[in-house]
Amino acid sequence: MNNKLAALLSDVFSLPISQIQSDLQQCDVGTWDSLKQMDLVMSLEREYHITLEISDIVRMTSVSEIMAVLESKGVDLAS
Amino acid sequence: MLVKGATALVTGGAQGLGLSIATYLAEAGANVVVADRNAELLARLPKDLVGVEMDVTDPKQVNAQVAGIVERYGQLDILVNNAGVIFSEPFVNVMNPAGIMHDYDRFRSSLAVNLDSVFIVTSAVVEQMIKRRTKGAIVNISSITACGNEGQTAYSAAKAGVNAMTVTWSKELGRWGIRVNALAPGFIGTDSTRHALTETALKHIESNTPLRRLGKAEEVAQAVITLVENEFINGVVLDVNGGLRI
Repeated sequence: MNNKLAALLSDVFSLPISQIQSDLQQCDVGTWDSLKQMDLVMSLEREYHITLEISDIVRMTSVSEIMAVLESKGVDLAS
Repeated sequence: MLVKGATALVTGGAQGLGLSIATYLAEAGANVVVADRNAELLARLPKDLVGVEMDVTDPKQVNAQVAGIVERYGQLDILVNNAGVIFSEPFVNVMNPAGIMHDYDRFRSSLAVNLDSVFIVTSAVVEQMIKRRTKGAIVNISSITACGNEGQTAYSAAKAGVNAMTVTWSKELGRWGIRVNALAPGFIGTDSTRHALTETALKHIESNTPLRRLGKAEEVAQAVITLVENEFINGVVLDVNGGLRI
């Protein structure tokens, strides 16, 4: 799990960083509603200098999907 | 946000207050599109205003027209939800032989044009703003009657709803950089006000207004510019009423 992304998600969802795992899903996080999704989008766009399409935003319902979307935008999560 | 160079959509902008707001925005340097359902009035717009025929209660038509405006100008920066119709009918009218209670169909149609339309147009515009990451400004034209005005159940309810949507959207959309404010005019000396009220009622209003006069349409338009250009005003319902309380 990429440290920078984990820290960002921990901050957005107010979760301990240890809980940010790739198999974490929206349904597992009580605070992950549509408003929080907008905060997530803003944070990701600001941090990675990308623009997410509506289809990307709708798709991001798990950490693994967030990672997949970021990688599709050319974000290197391996480093 | 500077009005100069921005693209604005003003609904119900072919006459009265809406036309004043549209003209003021154009004079300040905005590209202004006026949406109105009255084609004859649109045909008579000044040259610096672009007219689009639109029924603001029809979501399909609104979505298509807004998409067309964005395609033409690249983005929409400003939305002024001005379309509406002043409507007066007492909740109980014991002088009406057809029935003493407020007609329900007229209640619904007043809400459609004064409340639903704001939801419909804002939905279409905000979707475009989000897709393009436009940090836009939305100004909803409310009314002094939003606090509840005798003889205006439907109109007051609609405008109170507009105020509530304004505050709600300011909270939801702020994270996108989209600001939503409302402007609540008091009694403005427009044709629609003069049609809606008797001369006696207007005199009464003037004498009860601390500034002892009706407002001018340009004064409302100036306030619209302030709400658009001041980038830290969000979720506000700004009274422009000469100090009148009803």
